[in-house]
Amino acid sequence: MRTPLLISLLAALLASCSEHSVAPNQPVRILWAHDPENLDPLVLPNPNASDANNLLHLSLLQVDYSTQRHAPALADSLPRVRLSGDSLTLITYRLRPAATWDDGRPVLARDVDATLKLMQGPGLPNEDARAQFSFIREFRPDPTDPRRFTLVCQGQAPEFAQASGDFFILPEASFDPQGSLRAYRLAALVDRPATAPPDSVLAAVARRYNQADPGQHPERISGCGPYTLARWEKDHRLQFRRKPHWWADALRPAPFVLRAQPRQLDFVVIPNEANATLALRRGTVDVYPQVPVREFRRLQASAAARQQLAFYTSLSYDVVTAGFNTRRPALADRLTRQALSLLFDAHALLRATQQGMGQRTVGLVRPTDARNYADSLPLLSYNTGRAAALLRRAGWHRLGTEPTAGWARPGPGSAPQRLALLVRYRAGETAFETIGLQFRAAAARLGIAVELRPTETGSFTPALHAGDFDLYIRLLKGNPFIFNFAPILHSRAVGEGNLTGFGTPASDRLIEAVAAAASPVLKARLLRKFQVMMREEMPLVPLFFRPNCLVANRRLSHLYPGGLKPGYAAAAITWVTPAVAAAP
Amino acid sequence: MRKPERFSLAGGGRALAWAWLGLITALAILAPLLSLPYPPAQPDLAHLAAPPLVAGSAHWLGTDPQGRDVLAELVFGARTAVGLSLAAAILAAALGALLGGAAGFWRNSGLHLPLPAVVGLLGVAWWALALPWADAGLALSTSALAISFLLRERGNLYLPVPLDAAVLGSTALLGAVPRLVLVVALAGTLTLSPAGLLAVLVLTAWPGPARLVRAEMLRVKAQPFVAAARALGLPAGRVWWRQALPHACQPLRTAFPLSLAGLLALESTLSFLGIGLPPEVPSWGRLLGSARLEPTAWWLVAGPGGALLLTIIALQYLARAHR
Repeated sequence: MRTPLLISLLAALLASCSEHSVAPNQPVRILWAHDPENLDPLVLPNPNASDANNLLHLSLLQVDYSTQRHAPALADSLPRVRLSGDSLTLITYRLRPAATWDDGRPVLARDVDATLKLMQGPGLPNEDARAQFSFIREFRPDPTDPRRFTLVCQGQAPEFAQASGDFFILPEASFDPQGSLRAYRLAALVDRPATAPPDSVLAAVARRYNQADPGQHPERISGCGPYTLARWEKDHRLQFRRKPHWWADALRPAPFVLRAQPRQLDFVVIPNEANATLALRRGTVDVYPQVPVREFRRLQASAAARQQLAFYTSLSYDVVTAGFNTRRPALADRLTRQALSLLFDAHALLRATQQGMGQRTVGLVRPTDARNYADSLPLLSYNTGRAAALLRRAGWHRLGTEPTAGWARPGPGSAPQRLALLVRYRAGETAFETIGLQFRAAAARLGIAVELRPTETGSFTPALHAGDFDLYIRLLKGNPFIFNFAPILHSRAVGEGNLTGFGTPASDRLIEAVAAAASPVLKARLLRKFQVMMREEMPLVPLFFRPNCLVANRRLSHLYPGGLKPGYAAAAITWVTPAVAAAP
Repeated sequence: MRKPERFSLAGGGRALAWAWLGLITALAILAPLLSLPYPPAQPDLAHLAAPPLVAGSAHWLGTDPQGRDVLAELVFGARTAVGLSLAAAILAAALGALLGGAAGFWRNSGLHLPLPAVVGLLGVAWWALALPWADAGLALSTSALAISFLLRERGNLYLPVPLDAAVLGSTALLGAVPRLVLVVALAGTLTLSPAGLLAVLVLTAWPGPARLVRAEMLRVKAQPFVAAARALGLPAGRVWWRQALPHACQPLRTAFPLSLAGLLALESTLSFLGIGLPPEVPSWGRLLGSARLEPTAWWLVAGPGGALLLTIIALQYLARAHR
């Protein structure tokens, strides 16, 4: 009697000691370097917040990582685009009939209408959205079909077809149950000046939305996406659970953008690179995106790691950028900014921090985009002598002959201006620290005092918004679909997404013209002109495009690694069953 | 007849300890004058995590993963260690001695202050702590000062100051939270400059010396020479400062090296965790921490780890020798 029991116990023990088998329903654990901070779909302060919202909400169109193009998500097909006159574009969408909110109500055109008006309404945290979607001037519902509507866009830019569908649709009932926004015209909200007298209806909608506090309680504005946020431990972990009965499960064939394979997605926050690599090696996380190149190479060189992990690389659309606070009197003129930009040794920095991967650039357009990249501009070259000459041209003079003597120039009042810089970057970012140290050492050779201030994630964005910096080093995320620099460089976005505070009437006009360019040829010409202007004005110093290095557990498949953020398709990931894994 | 001198192990150890600490102090003082092959806090982007003793390389002890020269970081890190930890230990010992000595000497009823002075001090504390209506605190202290001036002829109402309870309460409060946790919390919420870090280190390190001096003061206070000084009619403050405090501070001779070793370790731990000094200030702890980015770079552990270990051992050895 005891022998079979003993044998079965032994077999169980041996099975547990054998190679760890993977259940297809096992959670997929993805590593994040920092917490998303705010999950409000209107705010989206960082890429992690965008990725999280992609699981909770759906847009009309979403990026299909298998083709690297936009594909219909909440829309049932790609939109019909018509040009009207010489200044308008009419874009017609129809929502999927199967799409429903969690309470079973259908997703209708009026939800899209309410979302667009919410993105333009006063008293809401919608500054970025306002800047990005102000080209949509009018919402025209189809009287015969509650799911069909037309967006009237100002301008005839070809990318309106994608841009007009790239925002999360929110349920009208959750923030405007009476439908009071329907009485307003979208154009009236877009054009509403900041000084307009308060409107009680709009104020009530804003109050209701703000009271829901979706940034910290995303469940209060539940989306029609495949996941719900089950748990959020700040700076530690976010857990997303697949909805057991999601409306898109019934679609046959299931479109790629509406596939949601993992039953559970855990995002584990580990800011430190070394700890992150350790977690990956120990198997406590399964996907490590944006791996620092040094760690990536080291893991690749390890035979043990190669058995356990798979490696993917591509060139990302993320450009490592230094930005000047142009509101500071010392940095308000372009000559000073041009001089300081020559203190970055971008060539050596790319080689040192990215080990030759990545690509240098003259601007915010990726060099691989041959049509739009300003290849007539030379790359910035490190040159302290020329920097000193430019500083003198900007009116600065050395305060002494000794090496540590600083620079000063007469200010507008009686007090002279001193050239000393406070550099902020996110704490724990080794590459940014190397850039900061190199810049500081180069500045020290000219006698310019530079204080490096690595800042914790939670304080970094508020500090930049408050203008408490002279120079920042951070990543600007881009994409190949839309060239709209208004949220980061238009004077309307100063104090919001435009952290440098830069903006001139000429640059504003050019940014608007780029966003509205009606043909690819015109857009390319304007984009090249824009890059030349940015080189002259130098509010930003684009240093290099970063490679996207991704390391994942070998038993994961369908990651679709690529240059588009976040560099993988989280919802498409599947575990390879042991039988499949063993197959040749 | 004189006995021949025999080799003393303890004496040799003490000499070695002093020699090591002297070397570190000399490096700290002379660091800017030394002609090192590479300056500190300056990345050599062509040589990241380069190993030591490579022929033709200017980096004799190698570089860290940011390209900083290990030798320069070690030498200037000694300056940071000595400058910050020694200053913090001296200030903490002085503050602890003053507060602990006063608490042990006057206890809760020995020290009396005029009522307006008490109110004025509370007002200043209110303002300094930036409590709600902080300006009211300043107004309160100004009013108290004015009242004190007006009433100087009539004689003030004096109140006993519960000094002992206040000092013991503060040490208990600070002792209830582990020092590292407290410093990490402070460093995480405030942006620390080297002076700010020094203040935080002093704030968390003074309770140890205070408790020691207070306990010794209770013993010294009962000694006949203190009673004699009081019987001679000397003012209490003078008796405390000239007679009692020097004797009550004797235990600090043993405790000071230990306190210094603790602060050195604490500063290095903070830098190791990346929350202490700014990245341009060389630090042994940060150099040690950079080994996490390059686990195979043994030279990043050997140099700063060895220097820290030897310094802490030397300090502890001297503390034991004083016991």
